[in-house]
Amino acid sequence: MVRLFRVSKIYPPNYAALADIHLQIEKGEFVFLNGPSGAGKTTLLRLLFREEEATEGQIIVNGRNITRLNGGAVARLRQELGLVFQEFKLLPTLTALENVALAAEVVGTPRREGRKKAFHLLRELGLKDKHDCKPPALSGGEQQRVAIARALVNDPILVLADEPTGNLDAEMAEETMRLFLRIHEQGTTVVIATHDTGLLQRFSHRVVYLQRGRLVGDSKPADGERSA
Amino acid sequence: MRLTQTSFVFRRVLKSLKELFWTHILTSGTMAMTLFIFGGFLLIQENLHGLLRGWGSQVQVFVYLEKELAPEELDQLLKQVRSYPDVERVRYVSKTEAWEKFKQTLGAQAGVLEGLKADILPASLEIALKGPHRTRAAAEALAQRLRGLRGVGEVEYPEEWVEKLGLLVLGIQWAKWVLGGFLFVATLLIVGSTVRLAFLARRDEIEIMQLVGAPAGLIKAPFVIEGMIQGVAGASVALFGLWLFFLFLHDRIPASFGVFAPGGGLHFLDLQGSVVLVLLGWAMGTGGSLFSLRQFLKRWSG
Ligand SMILES: Nc1ncnc2c1ncn2[C@@H]1O[C@H](COP(=O)(O)OP(=O)(O)OP(=O)(O)O)[C@@H](O)[C@H]1O
Ligand SMILES: [Mg+2]
Repeated sequence: MVRLFRVSKIYPPNYAALADIHLQIEKGEFVFLNGPSGAGKTTLLRLLFREEEATEGQIIVNGRNITRLNGGAVARLRQELGLVFQEFKLLPTLTALENVALAAEVVGTPRREGRKKAFHLLRELGLKDKHDCKPPALSGGEQQRVAIARALVNDPILVLADEPTGNLDAEMAEETMRLFLRIHEQGTTVVIATHDTGLLQRFSHRVVYLQRGRLVGDSKPADGERSA
Repeated sequence: MRLTQTSFVFRRVLKSLKELFWTHILTSGTMAMTLFIFGGFLLIQENLHGLLRGWGSQVQVFVYLEKELAPEELDQLLKQVRSYPDVERVRYVSKTEAWEKFKQTLGAQAGVLEGLKADILPASLEIALKGPHRTRAAAEALAQRLRGLRGVGEVEYPEEWVEKLGLLVLGIQWAKWVLGGFLFVATLLIVGSTVRLAFLARRDEIEIMQLVGAPAGLIKAPFVIEGMIQGVAGASVALFGLWLFFLFLHDRIPASFGVFAPGGGLHFLDLQGSVVLVLLGWAMGTGGSLFSLRQFLKRWSG
Protein backbone atom coordinates (compact mmCIF):
# COMPACT_ATOMS: atom_id res chain seq x y z
CA MET A 1 0.00 0.00 0.00
CA VAL A 2 2.73 2.45 1.05
CA ARG A 3 6.44 2.17 0.38
CA LEU A 4 9.12 4.68 1.18
CA PHE A 5 12.55 4.05 -0.20
CA ARG A 6 15.48 6.10 1.13
CA VAL A 7 13.25 9.11 1.58
CA SER A 8 14.67 12.40 2.82
CA LYS A 9 13.00 15.71 3.28
CA ILE A 10 15.14 18.78 3.65
CA TYR A 11 13.42 22.07 4.42
CA PRO A 12 15.24 25.12 3.20
CA PRO A 13 17.85 26.18 3.94
CA ASN A 14 19.07 22.77 5.03
CA TYR A 15 17.01 21.35 7.85
CA ALA A 16 16.62 17.62 7.47
CA ALA A 17 13.09 16.89 8.77
CA LEU A 18 13.33 13.32 7.50
CA ALA A 19 16.46 11.39 6.66
CA ASP A 20 16.85 8.14 4.81
CA ILE A 21 13.48 6.62 5.70
CA HIS A 22 12.67 3.06 4.64
CA LEU A 23 9.13 2.03 5.38
CA GLN A 24 6.60 -0.43 4.09
CA ILE A 25 2.94 -0.51 5.05
CA GLU A 26 0.75 -3.32 3.76
CA LYS A 27 -2.82 -3.09 2.63
CA GLY A 28 -5.18 -3.31 5.59
CA GLU A 29 -2.61 -2.42 8.22
CA PHE A 30 -3.16 -0.09 11.16
CA VAL A 31 -0.04 1.93 11.94
CA PHE A 32 0.80 4.53 14.54
CA LEU A 33 3.49 7.06 13.71
CA ASN A 34 5.02 8.04 17.00
CA GLY A 35 7.86 10.18 18.23
CA PRO A 36 8.58 13.38 20.13
CA SER A 37 7.58 16.78 18.88
CA GLY A 38 9.57 17.77 15.82
CA ALA A 39 10.44 14.16 14.99
CA GLY A 40 8.95 14.44 11.50
CA LYS A 41 5.59 12.68 11.83
CA THR A 42 3.62 15.44 10.18
CA THR A 43 6.24 15.81 7.50
CA LEU A 44 6.00 12.11 6.68
CA LEU A 45 2.21 12.30 6.31
CA ARG A 46 2.48 15.43 4.19
CA LEU A 47 4.79 13.58 1.86
CA LEU A 48 2.19 10.81 1.54
CA PHE A 49 -0.61 13.12 0.48
CA ARG A 50 1.79 15.17 -1.55
CA GLU A 51 1.51 18.45 0.25
CA GLU A 52 5.29 18.26 0.24
CA GLU A 53 7.67 16.71 -2.24
CA ALA A 54 10.43 14.40 -1.06
CA THR A 55 13.88 15.85 -1.48
CA GLU A 56 15.30 12.42 -2.14
CA GLY A 57 14.09 8.86 -2.49
CA GLN A 58 10.97 7.25 -3.91
CA ILE A 59 7.48 7.00 -2.47
CA ILE A 60 4.89 4.54 -3.72
CA VAL A 61 1.26 4.90 -2.65
CA ASN A 62 -1.27 2.35 -3.84
CA GLY A 63 1.05 1.15 -6.58
CA ARG A 64 1.75 4.63 -7.87
CA ASN A 65 5.05 6.40 -7.64
CA ILE A 66 4.15 9.81 -6.26
CA THR A 67 7.63 11.24 -6.27
CA ARG A 68 6.93 13.24 -9.40
CA LEU A 69 3.32 14.18 -10.03
CA ASN A 70 1.63 17.01 -11.85
CA GLY A 71 -1.34 18.86 -10.35
CA GLY A 72 -3.98 16.60 -11.87
CA ALA A 73 -2.27 13.47 -10.61
CA VAL A 74 -2.01 14.95 -7.10
CA ALA A 75 -5.77 15.51 -7.15
CA ARG A 76 -6.37 11.92 -8.26
CA LEU A 77 -4.06 10.62 -5.55
CA ARG A 78 -5.95 12.56 -2.91
CA GLN A 79 -9.27 11.24 -4.10
CA GLU A 80 -8.06 7.83 -2.92
CA LEU A 81 -7.05 9.14 0.49
CA GLY A 82 -8.98 10.21 3.56
CA LEU A 83 -7.31 12.96 5.56
CA VAL A 84 -7.98 13.90 9.18
CA PHE A 85 -6.28 16.74 11.03
CA GLN A 86 -5.83 17.85 14.58
CA GLU A 87 -7.65 21.12 13.91
CA PHE A 88 -10.50 19.40 11.99
CA LYS A 89 -10.40 21.85 9.07
CA LEU A 90 -14.17 22.13 8.81
CA LEU A 91 -15.87 25.09 7.13
CA PRO A 92 -17.67 27.02 9.88
CA THR A 93 -20.34 28.42 7.57
CA LEU A 94 -21.51 25.03 6.32
CA THR A 95 -23.53 22.50 8.27
CA ALA A 96 -22.03 19.16 9.24
CA LEU A 97 -23.86 17.54 6.37
CA GLU A 98 -22.71 20.15 3.87
CA ASN A 99 -19.13 19.84 5.06
CA VAL A 100 -19.16 16.13 4.34
CA ALA A 101 -21.15 16.38 1.11
CA LEU A 102 -18.84 19.06 -0.27
CA ALA A 103 -15.96 16.60 -0.35
CA ALA A 104 -18.08 14.16 -2.34
CA GLU A 105 -19.38 16.74 -4.73
CA VAL A 106 -16.05 18.31 -5.70
CA VAL A 107 -14.73 14.98 -6.91
CA GLY A 108 -17.76 14.48 -9.13
CA THR A 109 -20.35 12.67 -7.03
CA PRO A 110 -23.83 13.88 -7.94
CA ARG A 111 -25.09 16.32 -5.34
CA ARG A 112 -27.99 14.20 -4.11
CA GLU A 113 -25.91 11.09 -3.89
CA GLY A 114 -23.20 12.95 -1.99
CA ARG A 115 -25.70 14.28 0.51
CA LYS A 116 -27.22 10.85 0.98
CA LYS A 117 -23.83 9.34 1.61
CA ALA A 118 -22.93 12.12 4.02
CA PHE A 119 -26.19 11.62 5.85
CA HIS A 120 -25.57 7.89 6.32
CA LEU A 121 -21.99 8.38 7.41
CA LEU A 122 -22.92 10.98 9.99
CA ARG A 123 -25.58 8.68 11.36
CA GLU A 124 -23.12 5.85 11.52
CA LEU A 125 -20.69 8.04 13.46
CA GLY A 126 -23.36 8.91 16.00
CA LEU A 127 -24.23 12.38 14.72
CA LYS A 128 -27.76 11.56 13.71
CA ASP A 129 -29.26 14.69 15.28
CA LYS A 130 -26.40 16.99 14.44
CA HIS A 131 -26.13 17.08 10.69
CA ASP A 132 -27.80 20.47 10.45
CA CYS A 133 -25.47 21.99 13.03
CA LYS A 134 -22.58 24.16 12.00
CA PRO A 135 -19.16 23.28 13.46
CA PRO A 136 -19.06 26.11 16.02
CA ALA A 137 -22.14 24.56 17.62
CA LEU A 138 -20.49 21.17 17.94
CA SER A 139 -18.13 19.82 20.59
CA GLY A 140 -14.55 19.01 19.64
CA GLY A 141 -15.27 15.30 19.53
CA GLU A 142 -18.32 15.86 17.34
CA GLN A 143 -16.36 18.11 15.02
CA GLN A 144 -13.69 15.50 14.66
CA ARG A 145 -16.32 12.90 13.83
CA VAL A 146 -17.66 15.18 11.10
CA ALA A 147 -14.11 15.49 9.79
CA ILE A 148 -13.76 11.71 9.85
CA ALA A 149 -17.03 11.35 7.98
CA ARG A 150 -15.68 13.73 5.39
CA ALA A 151 -12.49 11.67 5.12
CA LEU A 152 -14.57 8.55 4.51
CA VAL A 153 -17.13 9.93 2.10
CA ASN A 154 -15.11 9.15 -1.01
CA ASP A 155 -14.37 5.55 0.11
CA PRO A 156 -10.63 5.99 0.64
CA ILE A 157 -8.28 3.05 0.53
CA LEU A 158 -5.87 4.81 2.85
CA VAL A 159 -6.74 7.04 5.80
CA LEU A 160 -4.06 9.41 7.08
CA ALA A 161 -4.67 11.18 10.38
CA ASP A 162 -2.36 13.76 11.96
CA GLU A 163 -2.88 14.01 15.71
CA PRO A 164 -6.61 13.39 15.33
CA THR A 165 -7.05 13.34 19.10
CA GLY A 166 -4.75 16.27 19.84
CA ASN A 167 -7.60 18.64 20.58
CA LEU A 168 -9.80 16.16 22.43
CA ASP A 169 -10.08 15.15 26.06
CA ALA A 170 -9.11 11.62 27.07
CA GLU A 171 -12.60 10.21 26.74
CA MET A 172 -13.26 11.72 23.31
CA ALA A 173 -9.78 10.69 22.20
CA GLU A 174 -10.48 7.11 23.12
CA GLU A 175 -13.80 7.13 21.31
CA THR A 176 -12.30 8.69 18.22
CA MET A 177 -9.58 6.06 18.22
CA ARG A 178 -12.23 3.35 18.30
CA LEU A 179 -13.74 4.90 15.20
CA PHE A 180 -10.46 4.51 13.38
CA LEU A 181 -10.29 0.91 14.50
CA ARG A 182 -13.74 0.32 13.06
CA ILE A 183 -12.65 1.87 9.78
CA HIS A 184 -9.64 -0.40 9.84
CA GLU A 185 -11.79 -3.43 10.47
CA GLN A 186 -13.69 -2.67 7.30
CA GLY A 187 -10.46 -3.18 5.39
CA THR A 188 -9.12 0.35 5.09
CA THR A 189 -5.45 0.99 5.70
CA VAL A 190 -5.01 3.53 8.49
CA VAL A 191 -1.96 5.57 9.46
CA ILE A 192 -2.20 7.79 12.53
CA ALA A 193 0.48 10.20 13.69
CA THR A 194 0.38 10.88 17.42
CA HIS A 195 2.75 11.65 20.23
CA ASP A 196 0.27 10.36 22.79
CA THR A 197 2.04 7.24 24.03
CA GLY A 198 -0.81 6.42 26.36
CA LEU A 199 -3.06 5.77 23.38
CA LEU A 200 -0.51 3.49 21.78
CA GLN A 201 -0.37 1.34 24.85
CA ARG A 202 -4.12 0.94 25.03
CA PHE A 203 -4.41 0.08 21.35
CA SER A 204 -1.55 -2.21 20.68
CA HIS A 205 -0.86 -1.97 16.99
CA ARG A 206 2.18 -1.51 14.85
CA VAL A 207 4.13 1.56 15.96
CA VAL A 208 6.67 3.28 13.75
CA TYR A 209 8.86 5.42 15.92
CA LEU A 210 10.59 8.53 14.56
CA GLN A 211 13.22 10.62 16.25
CA ARG A 212 14.85 13.68 14.76
CA GLY A 213 13.83 12.67 11.30
CA ARG A 214 15.08 9.12 11.54
CA LEU A 215 13.13 5.90 11.81
CA VAL A 216 14.40 4.44 15.04
CA GLY A 217 11.81 1.82 15.91
CA ASP A 218 9.19 -0.37 14.26
CA SER A 219 7.30 -2.71 16.57
CA LYS A 220 4.71 -5.08 15.24
CA PRO A 221 2.88 -6.70 18.13
CA ALA A 222 2.19 -10.40 17.86
CA ASP A 223 -1.41 -11.24 16.96
CA GLY A 224 -2.21 -12.38 20.46
CA GLU A 225 -1.32 -9.04 22.00
CA ARG A 226 -3.61 -7.06 19.78
CA SER A 227 -6.61 -5.49 21.32
CA ALA A 228 -9.38 -3.82 19.44
CA MET B 1 -16.44 18.88 -16.64
CA ARG B 2 -19.31 16.79 -15.40
CA LEU B 3 -22.81 18.15 -14.92
CA THR B 4 -22.57 18.01 -11.10
CA GLN B 5 -19.44 20.05 -11.26
CA THR B 6 -20.96 22.59 -13.58
CA SER B 7 -23.81 23.15 -11.18
CA PHE B 8 -21.31 23.28 -8.34
CA VAL B 9 -19.33 25.99 -10.11
CA PHE B 10 -22.41 28.07 -10.79
CA ARG B 11 -23.59 27.85 -7.22
CA ARG B 12 -20.12 29.05 -6.14
CA VAL B 13 -20.29 31.94 -8.58
CA LEU B 14 -23.72 33.04 -7.40
CA LYS B 15 -22.62 32.82 -3.80
CA SER B 16 -19.55 34.92 -4.44
CA LEU B 17 -21.46 37.51 -6.45
CA LYS B 18 -23.79 37.82 -3.51
CA GLU B 19 -21.20 37.83 -0.75
CA LEU B 20 -18.73 40.17 -2.44
CA PHE B 21 -21.38 42.19 -4.21
CA TRP B 22 -19.79 45.62 -3.87
CA THR B 23 -16.34 44.41 -4.73
CA HIS B 24 -17.69 42.95 -7.93
CA ILE B 25 -19.65 46.10 -8.69
CA LEU B 26 -16.56 48.23 -8.22
CA THR B 27 -14.51 46.03 -10.46
CA SER B 28 -17.07 45.98 -13.24
CA GLY B 29 -17.37 49.72 -12.80
CA THR B 30 -13.65 50.16 -13.28
CA MET B 31 -13.74 48.00 -16.34
CA ALA B 32 -16.70 49.95 -17.65
CA MET B 33 -14.74 53.18 -17.17
CA THR B 34 -11.73 51.87 -19.07
CA LEU B 35 -13.86 50.52 -21.85
CA PHE B 36 -15.87 53.73 -21.97
CA ILE B 37 -12.76 55.79 -22.55
CA PHE B 38 -11.43 53.34 -25.08
CA GLY B 39 -14.80 53.15 -26.78
CA GLY B 40 -15.06 56.95 -26.78
CA PHE B 41 -11.86 57.17 -28.75
CA LEU B 42 -13.13 54.48 -31.04
CA LEU B 43 -16.34 56.42 -31.57
CA ILE B 44 -14.56 59.68 -32.38
CA GLN B 45 -12.09 57.94 -34.60
CA GLU B 46 -14.77 56.17 -36.56
CA ASN B 47 -16.78 59.33 -37.02
CA LEU B 48 -13.79 61.33 -38.21
CA HIS B 49 -12.97 58.45 -40.47
CA GLY B 50 -16.47 58.55 -41.89
CA LEU B 51 -16.09 62.28 -42.34
CA LEU B 52 -12.89 61.79 -44.26
CA ARG B 53 -14.40 59.10 -46.41
CA GLY B 54 -17.37 61.32 -47.09
CA TRP B 55 -15.20 64.21 -48.13
CA GLY B 56 -12.95 62.00 -50.11
CA SER B 57 -15.77 60.62 -52.19
CA GLN B 58 -17.68 63.86 -52.55
CA VAL B 59 -16.64 67.26 -53.65
CA GLN B 60 -12.99 67.49 -54.17
CA VAL B 61 -12.62 70.66 -56.18
CA PHE B 62 -14.73 73.79 -55.86
CA VAL B 63 -14.87 76.15 -58.81
CA TYR B 64 -16.30 79.60 -58.08
CA LEU B 65 -17.73 81.37 -61.07
CA GLU B 66 -16.92 85.00 -61.73
CA LYS B 67 -20.53 85.85 -62.45
CA GLU B 68 -23.75 84.03 -63.04
CA LEU B 69 -23.41 82.55 -66.51
CA ALA B 70 -26.03 82.47 -69.20
CA PRO B 71 -27.58 79.02 -69.67
CA GLU B 72 -25.70 78.33 -72.91
CA GLU B 73 -22.41 79.43 -71.42
CA LEU B 74 -23.02 77.26 -68.38
CA ASP B 75 -23.89 74.26 -70.56
CA GLN B 76 -20.70 74.80 -72.47
CA LEU B 77 -18.63 74.95 -69.31
CA LEU B 78 -20.27 71.89 -67.80
CA LYS B 79 -19.78 69.90 -70.97
CA GLN B 80 -16.16 70.92 -71.08
CA VAL B 81 -15.48 69.91 -67.46
CA ARG B 82 -17.40 66.64 -67.79
CA SER B 83 -15.23 65.69 -70.71
CA TYR B 84 -12.11 65.57 -68.54
CA PRO B 85 -11.15 61.92 -67.97
CA ASP B 86 -10.45 62.40 -64.25
CA VAL B 87 -13.78 63.97 -63.41
CA GLU B 88 -16.51 61.76 -62.07
CA ARG B 89 -19.30 64.17 -61.36
CA VAL B 90 -20.04 67.86 -61.67
CA ARG B 91 -22.76 69.70 -59.88
CA TYR B 92 -23.78 73.26 -60.44
CA VAL B 93 -24.69 75.33 -57.40
CA SER B 94 -26.51 78.52 -58.30
CA LYS B 95 -26.28 81.72 -56.28
CA THR B 96 -29.72 81.12 -54.81
CA GLU B 97 -28.88 77.57 -53.88
CA ALA B 98 -25.65 78.66 -52.26
CA TRP B 99 -27.57 81.27 -50.30
CA GLU B 100 -30.19 78.78 -49.14
CA LYS B 101 -27.57 76.30 -48.10
CA PHE B 102 -25.70 78.94 -46.17
CA LYS B 103 -28.85 80.00 -44.39
CA GLN B 104 -29.55 76.42 -43.48
CA THR B 105 -26.04 76.02 -42.15
CA LEU B 106 -26.49 78.95 -39.84
CA GLY B 107 -29.81 77.54 -38.68
CA ALA B 108 -31.15 79.60 -35.81
CA GLN B 109 -28.53 82.23 -36.35
CA ALA B 110 -29.73 82.94 -39.88
CA GLY B 111 -31.00 86.26 -38.60
CA VAL B 112 -27.55 87.78 -38.95
CA LEU B 113 -28.01 87.61 -42.72
CA GLU B 114 -30.91 89.98 -42.63
CA GLY B 115 -30.35 92.95 -44.85
CA LEU B 116 -27.80 91.19 -47.02
CA LYS B 117 -28.53 90.61 -50.64
CA ALA B 118 -29.32 87.07 -51.60
CA ASP B 119 -26.81 87.08 -54.46
CA ILE B 120 -23.79 87.87 -52.35
CA LEU B 121 -22.45 84.32 -52.65
CA PRO B 122 -20.95 83.22 -55.94
CA ALA B 123 -22.34 80.38 -58.01
CA SER B 124 -20.03 77.40 -58.14
CA LEU B 125 -19.31 73.97 -59.52
CA GLU B 126 -18.68 71.04 -57.19
CA ILE B 127 -16.47 68.55 -58.90
CA ALA B 128 -15.83 64.99 -57.73
CA LEU B 129 -12.74 63.20 -58.97
CA LYS B 130 -12.67 59.61 -60.11
CA GLY B 131 -11.32 57.15 -57.57
CA PRO B 132 -7.72 56.84 -58.76
CA HIS B 133 -7.44 60.61 -59.16
CA ARG B 134 -8.36 61.52 -55.61
CA THR B 135 -4.91 62.74 -54.75
CA ARG B 136 -3.53 66.09 -54.03
CA ALA B 137 -1.44 66.13 -57.22
CA ALA B 138 -4.38 65.20 -59.42
CA ALA B 139 -6.59 67.83 -57.76
CA GLU B 140 -3.88 70.44 -58.30
CA ALA B 141 -3.49 69.46 -61.97
CA LEU B 142 -7.23 69.71 -62.50
CA ALA B 143 -7.31 73.05 -60.72
CA GLN B 144 -4.67 74.36 -63.14
CA ARG B 145 -6.74 73.32 -66.13
CA LEU B 146 -9.91 74.80 -64.63
CA ARG B 147 -8.29 78.13 -63.90
CA GLY B 148 -7.65 78.52 -67.61
CA LEU B 149 -11.35 78.26 -68.48
CA ARG B 150 -13.55 81.22 -69.24
CA GLY B 151 -15.83 82.44 -66.51
CA VAL B 152 -13.92 80.64 -63.76
CA GLY B 153 -12.87 82.65 -60.77
CA GLU B 154 -11.23 80.93 -57.85
CA VAL B 155 -10.55 77.21 -57.67
CA GLU B 156 -10.17 75.48 -54.31
CA TYR B 157 -9.68 71.95 -53.18
CA PRO B 158 -9.87 70.89 -49.53
CA GLU B 159 -7.11 68.34 -49.89
CA GLU B 160 -4.97 70.05 -47.29
CA TRP B 161 -7.80 69.91 -44.85
CA VAL B 162 -8.35 66.30 -45.52
CA GLU B 163 -4.70 65.68 -44.90
CA LYS B 164 -4.75 67.51 -41.61
CA LEU B 165 -7.84 65.65 -40.52
CA GLY B 166 -6.13 62.44 -41.54
CA LEU B 167 -3.32 63.29 -39.16
CA LEU B 168 -5.81 63.95 -36.38
CA VAL B 169 -7.42 60.58 -36.95
CA LEU B 170 -4.03 58.95 -36.82
CA GLY B 171 -3.30 60.78 -33.58
CA ILE B 172 -6.54 59.56 -32.05
CA GLN B 173 -5.80 56.07 -33.23
CA TRP B 174 -2.52 56.14 -31.35
CA ALA B 175 -3.89 57.86 -28.29
CA LYS B 176 -6.55 55.19 -28.14
CA TRP B 177 -3.98 52.44 -27.93
CA VAL B 178 -1.56 54.22 -25.63
CA LEU B 179 -4.15 55.47 -23.16
CA GLY B 180 -6.24 52.35 -23.66
CA GLY B 181 -3.23 50.14 -23.01
CA PHE B 182 -2.37 52.06 -19.89
CA LEU B 183 -5.90 51.79 -18.54
CA PHE B 184 -6.00 48.17 -19.58
CA VAL B 185 -3.01 47.33 -17.41
CA ALA B 186 -4.44 49.31 -14.49
CA THR B 187 -7.72 47.47 -14.86
CA LEU B 188 -6.01 44.10 -14.94
CA LEU B 189 -4.39 44.97 -11.63
CA ILE B 190 -7.76 45.87 -10.15
CA VAL B 191 -9.32 42.68 -11.44
CA GLY B 192 -6.36 40.90 -9.90
CA SER B 193 -7.02 42.40 -6.51
CA THR B 194 -10.70 41.45 -6.71
CA VAL B 195 -9.76 37.89 -7.44
CA ARG B 196 -7.37 38.11 -4.54
CA LEU B 197 -10.19 39.22 -2.24
CA ALA B 198 -12.52 36.54 -3.54
CA PHE B 199 -9.71 34.07 -3.16
CA LEU B 200 -8.92 35.03 0.41
CA ALA B 201 -12.60 34.93 1.30
CA ARG B 202 -12.65 31.34 0.15
CA ARG B 203 -9.18 30.29 1.17
CA ASP B 204 -10.29 27.65 3.69
CA GLU B 205 -12.74 26.20 1.28
CA ILE B 206 -10.12 26.04 -1.45
CA GLU B 207 -7.65 24.39 0.88
CA ILE B 208 -10.19 21.72 1.75
CA MET B 209 -11.15 21.23 -1.85
CA GLN B 210 -7.51 20.66 -2.66
CA LEU B 211 -7.05 18.26 0.22
CA VAL B 212 -9.93 16.08 -0.87
CA GLY B 213 -8.68 15.99 -4.45
CA ALA B 214 -10.86 18.47 -6.32
CA PRO B 215 -9.49 19.02 -9.81
CA ALA B 216 -7.70 22.33 -10.27
CA GLY B 217 -10.12 23.32 -13.02
CA LEU B 218 -13.03 23.08 -10.61
CA ILE B 219 -11.26 25.33 -8.15
CA LYS B 220 -10.34 27.92 -10.75
CA ALA B 221 -13.53 27.91 -12.79
CA PRO B 222 -15.66 30.04 -10.45
CA PHE B 223 -13.04 32.79 -10.37
CA VAL B 224 -12.64 32.78 -14.12
CA ILE B 225 -16.39 32.88 -14.67
CA GLU B 226 -16.73 35.72 -12.19
CA GLY B 227 -14.09 37.63 -14.13
CA MET B 228 -15.92 36.95 -17.37
CA ILE B 229 -19.21 38.16 -15.94
CA GLN B 230 -17.56 41.30 -14.61
CA GLY B 231 -15.90 41.98 -17.92
CA VAL B 232 -18.99 41.52 -20.02
CA ALA B 233 -21.12 43.47 -17.55
CA GLY B 234 -18.55 46.26 -17.55
CA ALA B 235 -18.47 46.31 -21.33
CA SER B 236 -22.26 46.46 -21.52
CA VAL B 237 -22.35 49.38 -19.12
CA ALA B 238 -19.63 51.08 -21.15
CA LEU B 239 -21.59 50.56 -24.36
CA PHE B 240 -24.70 51.95 -22.75
CA GLY B 241 -22.73 54.93 -21.46
CA LEU B 242 -21.30 55.51 -24.91
CA TRP B 243 -24.76 55.42 -26.37
CA LEU B 244 -25.90 58.10 -23.93
CA PHE B 245 -22.76 60.10 -24.69
CA PHE B 246 -23.52 59.72 -28.37
CA LEU B 247 -27.09 60.88 -27.96
CA PHE B 248 -25.87 63.85 -25.96
CA LEU B 249 -23.47 64.87 -28.73
CA HIS B 250 -26.00 64.15 -31.40
CA ASP B 251 -28.51 66.55 -29.88
CA ARG B 252 -25.95 69.24 -29.33
CA ILE B 253 -24.08 69.28 -32.59
CA PRO B 254 -25.95 71.54 -35.01
CA ALA B 255 -27.53 70.08 -38.07
CA SER B 256 -25.10 72.16 -40.09
CA PHE B 257 -22.53 69.52 -39.19
CA GLY B 258 -24.16 67.50 -41.94
CA VAL B 259 -22.71 69.89 -44.48
CA PHE B 260 -19.25 68.87 -43.44
CA ALA B 261 -20.13 65.22 -43.07
CA PRO B 262 -21.80 64.12 -46.25
CA GLY B 263 -22.11 60.65 -44.73
CA GLY B 264 -25.07 61.96 -42.75
CA GLY B 265 -23.71 63.31 -39.49
CA LEU B 266 -22.66 61.39 -36.39
CA HIS B 267 -23.09 57.68 -36.19
CA PHE B 268 -22.66 55.20 -33.33
CA LEU B 269 -20.16 52.34 -33.16
CA ASP B 270 -20.99 49.70 -35.71
CA LEU B 271 -21.60 46.09 -34.75
CA GLN B 272 -17.94 45.27 -35.14
CA GLY B 273 -16.86 48.07 -32.82
CA SER B 274 -19.40 47.02 -30.20
CA VAL B 275 -18.33 43.41 -30.41
CA VAL B 276 -14.70 44.44 -30.06
CA LEU B 277 -15.58 46.35 -26.91
CA VAL B 278 -17.46 43.43 -25.36
CA LEU B 279 -14.68 41.03 -26.29
CA LEU B 280 -12.16 43.35 -24.69
CA GLY B 281 -14.19 43.34 -21.49
CA TRP B 282 -14.45 39.59 -21.61
CA ALA B 283 -10.71 39.26 -22.18
CA MET B 284 -9.87 41.66 -19.37
CA GLY B 285 -12.05 39.81 -16.89
CA THR B 286 -10.93 36.36 -17.86
CA GLY B 287 -7.30 37.32 -18.33
CA GLY B 288 -7.14 39.18 -15.04
CA SER B 289 -8.58 36.20 -13.17
CA LEU B 290 -6.34 33.63 -14.82
CA PHE B 291 -3.30 35.78 -14.29
CA SER B 292 -3.82 36.31 -10.59
CA LEU B 293 -4.94 32.72 -10.02
CA ARG B 294 -1.62 31.59 -11.41
CA GLN B 295 0.08 33.60 -8.73
CA PHE B 296 -2.09 32.33 -5.90
CA LEU B 297 -2.25 28.72 -6.89
CA LYS B 298 1.48 28.44 -7.38
CA ARG B 299 1.78 27.85 -3.66
CA TRP B 300 -0.54 24.90 -3.83
CA SER B 301 0.48 21.55 -5.14
CA GLY B 302 -3.08 20.52 -6.02
N1 LIG C 1 7.59 24.14 6.25
C1 LIG C 1 8.65 23.95 7.03
N2 LIG C 1 9.78 24.67 6.87
C2 LIG C 1 10.84 24.47 7.66
N3 LIG C 1 10.90 23.57 8.63
C3 LIG C 1 9.83 22.82 8.85
C4 LIG C 1 8.63 22.96 8.06
N4 LIG C 1 7.71 22.08 8.51
C5 LIG C 1 8.31 21.40 9.52
N5 LIG C 1 9.57 21.85 9.73
C6 LIG C 1 10.50 21.33 10.71
O1 LIG C 1 10.65 19.95 10.51
C7 LIG C 1 10.71 19.29 11.74
C8 LIG C 1 9.69 18.18 11.79
O2 LIG C 1 8.42 18.77 11.85
P1 LIG C 1 7.08 17.94 11.94
O3 LIG C 1 5.96 18.88 11.91
O4 LIG C 1 7.13 16.87 10.90
O5 LIG C 1 7.22 17.28 13.36
P2 LIG C 1 6.15 16.41 14.15
O6 LIG C 1 6.80 15.12 14.44
O7 LIG C 1 4.88 16.39 13.44
O8 LIG C 1 6.00 17.25 15.47
P3 LIG C 1 4.72 17.45 16.42
O9 LIG C 1 4.60 16.22 17.25
O10 LIG C 1 5.06 18.63 17.25
O11 LIG C 1 3.54 17.68 15.52
C9 LIG C 1 10.48 20.32 12.83
O12 LIG C 1 11.74 20.63 13.42
C10 LIG C 1 9.95 21.51 12.10
O13 LIG C 1 10.42 22.68 12.68
MG1 LIG D 1 2.96 17.14 13.78
